Amino acid sequence: MMNHRRFILHLNVADFAVAVERVVDLGLRDKPVIVAPLQAARAAVYDMSEEAYRDGVRKGMLLTRATRICRAARVLPPRFDLYRKAMASFVDEARGYSPVLEHGAEDGHLYLDITGTHRLFGTPPDVGWRLHRQIRCKLEIDPIWSLAGSKLVSKIGSRLVKPVGEYIVADGEEQRFLAPLPLHLLPGLSNGERQRLSQFNIVRIGELAALSRMQLEGVFGRRGETLFELSRGIDENAVRPEEERPPRVVREHIFSDDCADRTVLKGVVGALAAQLGMELRATRMQARRVGLQLDYTDGTTVSRQASVRKGVADDDSLLRLAMTALERSLTRRTRVRSCRLIGDRLHGRSPQLKLFTDPATGRKKEQLLTAMDRIRQRFGREAIRMGSQPVLH
Amino acid sequence: MVPLRVRSCFSLLRGTASPGSLCGRAAGFGYTRLALTDLENLYGLWSFLAACERHRIRPIIGTEIETGAADRLVLLVRNEVGYRNLCNIISRRKRKDKLDVSAETASLYEGLVLLSRSETMLRTSRACGLEAAADLGSRPTENGNRLRHLAATLGIPAVAVPDSDLGAPGEHRAQLLLRAIGAGETLDSGGQVRDQGQPLESPEVYASRFSIWPETLQATEEIADRCTYRRPAAGLQMPPWQQHGCQSAGVVLRQEAYEGARERYGFTLPDQVVERLDYELGVIESMGFSSYFLVVRDIVQPLQPDGTRKRRRICGRGSGAASLVAYCLSITNVCPIRYNLYFERFLNPGRSDPPDIDIDFAWDERDQVLAEVLGLFGERAAMVCNHVCFKPRGAIRETAKAYGLPGYEISRMTKRLPWFFKRSDLSLQEQIATLPSLKDQDFSGPWAEIIDRASELIGLPRYLSVHPGGVVITEGPVHDYVPVEQAPKGVPIIQWEKDGTEESGLVKIDLLGNRSLGVIRDAIGNLRKNGADFSEQGWTPEDDLQTKAAVGAGKTMGCFYIESPAMRLLQQKAGSGDFEQLVIQSSIIRPAANEFVREYVRRLHGGGWDPLHPALEAVLDETFGLMVYQEDVSKVAVALAGFSHSEADGLRKVLSKKDREFRLRDYRDKFYRGCRKNNIESAEIDRIWAMMMSFDGYSFCKPHSASYARVSFQSAYLKTHFPAEFMAAVISNQGGYYSTFSYVSEAKRMGLIIDPPDVRTSELSWRGQGTRIRVGLQTLHGLSQETCERILGCRKERHFRSFSDFLQQVQPAEHEIRVLVDSGAVDGLDTKANRSRLYWEAAAREVGASAAGGAGLFPVVEFDAPPLRDQSPIERLRREYQALGFLCRAHPVSLIGKGKVHTCKGVDLAAHVGRTVDFIGLLLTGKIVSTKTGEAMEFLTFEDETAIIETTFFPEVYRRYAHILSAQKVYRLRGLVEQDFGALTLTVEKIRLLSN
Repeated sequence: MMNHRRFILHLNVADFAVAVERVVDLGLRDKPVIVAPLQAARAAVYDMSEEAYRDGVRKGMLLTRATRICRAARVLPPRFDLYRKAMASFVDEARGYSPVLEHGAEDGHLYLDITGTHRLFGTPPDVGWRLHRQIRCKLEIDPIWSLAGSKLVSKIGSRLVKPVGEYIVADGEEQRFLAPLPLHLLPGLSNGERQRLSQFNIVRIGELAALSRMQLEGVFGRRGETLFELSRGIDENAVRPEEERPPRVVREHIFSDDCADRTVLKGVVGALAAQLGMELRATRMQARRVGLQLDYTDGTTVSRQASVRKGVADDDSLLRLAMTALERSLTRRTRVRSCRLIGDRLHGRSPQLKLFTDPATGRKKEQLLTAMDRIRQRFGREAIRMGSQPVLH
Repeated sequence: MVPLRVRSCFSLLRGTASPGSLCGRAAGFGYTRLALTDLENLYGLWSFLAACERHRIRPIIGTEIETGAADRLVLLVRNEVGYRNLCNIISRRKRKDKLDVSAETASLYEGLVLLSRSETMLRTSRACGLEAAADLGSRPTENGNRLRHLAATLGIPAVAVPDSDLGAPGEHRAQLLLRAIGAGETLDSGGQVRDQGQPLESPEVYASRFSIWPETLQATEEIADRCTYRRPAAGLQMPPWQQHGCQSAGVVLRQEAYEGARERYGFTLPDQVVERLDYELGVIESMGFSSYFLVVRDIVQPLQPDGTRKRRRICGRGSGAASLVAYCLSITNVCPIRYNLYFERFLNPGRSDPPDIDIDFAWDERDQVLAEVLGLFGERAAMVCNHVCFKPRGAIRETAKAYGLPGYEISRMTKRLPWFFKRSDLSLQEQIATLPSLKDQDFSGPWAEIIDRASELIGLPRYLSVHPGGVVITEGPVHDYVPVEQAPKGVPIIQWEKDGTEESGLVKIDLLGNRSLGVIRDAIGNLRKNGADFSEQGWTPEDDLQTKAAVGAGKTMGCFYIESPAMRLLQQKAGSGDFEQLVIQSSIIRPAANEFVREYVRRLHGGGWDPLHPALEAVLDETFGLMVYQEDVSKVAVALAGFSHSEADGLRKVLSKKDREFRLRDYRDKFYRGCRKNNIESAEIDRIWAMMMSFDGYSFCKPHSASYARVSFQSAYLKTHFPAEFMAAVISNQGGYYSTFSYVSEAKRMGLIIDPPDVRTSELSWRGQGTRIRVGLQTLHGLSQETCERILGCRKERHFRSFSDFLQQVQPAEHEIRVLVDSGAVDGLDTKANRSRLYWEAAAREVGASAAGGAGLFPVVEFDAPPLRDQSPIERLRREYQALGFLCRAHPVSLIGKGKVHTCKGVDLAAHVGRTVDFIGLLLTGKIVSTKTGEAMEFLTFEDETAIIETTFFPEVYRRYAHILSAQKVYRLRGLVEQDFGALTLTVEKIRLLSN
């Protein structure tokens, strides 16, 4: 097989929410900033600037604690819509250079595969410089960028220069680049593996790369192969555009004050199910599975699913599935910080009516839902809702 | 109307009102009779009976038992047979027996009135001739109507029965919380509507509710009329002695006592001993306690199959140690004649309550003793329980859990909560807000509400635990006297605490565990293993000059009762190391007695003093005119207020009771009256009374103090003459006042060398010889007992050839390998002691074994590890500290304090008295006390590699720094070096955290 040189660009806006806020308010530059809900007594840190991070503030930390640690910090309420828009613009700027683009949700990370675009845009480093300049001019944010032959090495490059800067790893230079770096910069290692490497007194990537495949397999079993490749910067993973992933519908609610009350939790999950239903019906899709992810205050995440054989899109069925998933995921006696409801295994809705349901009741319910959907489309998502469901902001 | 179903807080995690407050409420409503029917228990019986007496209410004893998924049956006691049956039924229910009412089980329900909502049960009860009534609930309902008709058909009464869990309507909030805690759930706003408990209402409320069926109210009176049983009154229940041969207990006791005396004092007994023995035996026999002594002796020194008695290392505690008979039977360990211990303190004909013989055994032998007793007496023996109630810390923790707060947030708050909450004038919230140790705590969000709601739980009983050693032995099965249940640790426990047990007449024997007895045993065992010839026959450590000097210098860390910082300082100030003084000191050192301690030291060193009152001159002469022992309270009451001996003894006992306030009132009045009669001025009486009140359960009686002083002296002797063996035993037995870390430091300061653990030579416990101590495998954090045993077992077969051979033979788990490598225990198995290499070898073996499909099958292969750098020295120390909790060859202060100039080492402080110095030390332990004005201050113990230093944080400094104080951390302190009667202390002005 011919070794085909790839060019992967990794862009990362450090502390994305803070970066966006700093665009809006220039007065925030060079000052510690914390993004967290303001009205809640038990608000948790959503994002923080490098200055606040250096003082010990971390994501998910209680705001009251964070402001004690970093007394000079300006605290701003999160503006998710703004971050979503900023992320979309960020992605749009990059998309101009390649359709092969992979990004996360509002986290300021993206990979761009620019292999073979040099005839259009010039050499890969030029693309990096140009895209960086373009984003700085248009969006006034300053992303880190790094160019390498794989997602892995480009990400390490970004990690190395964080919070600002750029790094280009030339073809064939990967090993020399990685060797002196500390192990914590290497992504893809589990905590157990890191612990074990520290027991062997292996602290740099180069020391790991000095071990043979057999030696690594001898102490890490099947994972030895992966470690062998990671330590040499070998990563064949392709950049996966959004369209290639299975479709799903996601709705999320973050409690400003984390919540322990089951009754409230049920209401919120019910409201999310209704939103999910509306989106499914709008796109004439049905879901065969509803998953619920609960993020507990102590950082633990529990995900549980409920599924049906035939797809559903009506509120009643979705609510039933969501409640089953909720019962399954409420395994702990700890407050919940956020919940995310996911409808997947989607398929198009069949126009055929059901044979054995009571046509009269079925139709009435459907008409009711259609009417409600229309009202919501016209007057907003919270214009009409079931009595048991709270208003979600 | 008589309320026939009322539950108190003893219906655990359901009821909210104490029996006392329920009786108060009932009396307020004008009820003259009240039934207490807690769920399958009689936990609250004695407080209920006491409260009824206070409020002049006639009690009805009862319970409520579960008979089906949702069905409950109320049982009310009519007579003595009924009470016995009730105890049996509850005991059986606690064993999860199903107890349907049927022809076969009918005899079990005799003497009881059954209130039921089940039609079948009512019919069966009627058919079996039992006394039953239809339970219509607390308000008329459709179902109630049906039951009423059925009752009429069956010819039985139908009664209105409250269903009360609460003491007042406002308590439902606390109940919801209790239920969430009980169910292990979070508080749910939906639940508040669903499930609301009811309070006990006034007769008018029930009269108006049941105005359509007035006869159902009248029927409650008729049922109450039939329940004439007021309280269990079985009299004093002595443990039965199994007679051997035809001799009476009195004769046997006399023979055994004399036999024992000859062993103690030689064949020709001194006149004094004979006189005292005769006197004691006379009193014991006349009071009928001979068999009791013999039973206790049989427990302590059981007869073995070969006819000899098993010798156990014991320490008699309590007033029993004043008896020469007990000493001769070897159930106590100090000679009462030599140390002037008065037998009357233990037994005198005026006393009506049972004598109290308590015995300490080595902590790890105690369970065996208990098992023997429970095995020997079977159903006739059970342990006493403790009613564990919510205390501030636990209440806040549980409430916070019900609010869904994560564990780390709760711990951050509760671990800084000290144990004292004495200021009843402030709410819990106010008290916490003013606590210096919580200065930097964040009380926003739900915390205010949590603390507020937690305060409603404080004092409510939560669960039953086993009393540390109280056993009751009865003539018949224990469950005929009191309900018995199984404690989680597997022993039967009765449902009453020690006070209730005593009140009921059941005689309790305390068989307790004592660490120091284990220490002495192991130190002597270690000595003998090392080849030393050590005999305990005629061992009188209290006469050894070197030991006395060491005690007088406060070098007593590890020595039982005299090792605490306060005790060591007191030793230094007293300076004598005298046994008689140690007896006084062991009792005077108690919370809230600081001023007496200071006064004692002054008087000991020749300071002048006047007696409290001329009449007390002779009474308190021995203790320099100070009240030191529990019995001094009685002596003062007799001398000043004309109390009789048994009254005075009653007063002494009440002082250590939980609910003393109420009962104390009568004694107080009597004391004041008596004193006034003797022309003592009011101010004087107030002063003496206050002094008596400072004896709140912590002080000792003299025999007990002497008994403890003896064990302390034995420990001090061993520490002085055999330091390595002794310190090894102290650490091996764990659980002393200090951490292992502190004992290791002490050993190093004594010039001993600590050898790290080594799988080739370490035993399970620590071993000492000469000037060296080898760390025992027991200290390796996380190494299981089984693995330790495998190491020792395999080693017995043959030596470990290599690390790989060790892994192959012992098969330790992954986390165990970590601790073995980090602690250095396997260094000897690698030629270069390279720990990175050892880790590699272990990992390779593990992967290889799992690939081969099973650890045991895998053959020993020498692995070819790549060349790996060994860990740096500092990393090795860090890991060693993690694995062991201390460093064998270094001290954290010497590492952290390196290069810090202008500081003074602990050992040099004496040269700086009166000057301010800087000192770097690691915090070992602390004791918070309250000043006279109610402010908190703390005495903290720090150490560096050279000495252990006692410091004082006065209130202002304490307020400033309390929140940064945490054990095992290193600080830089600045303070004034002070000296008081030879004892050095540092009064701290500033403190800064140097490292974690």
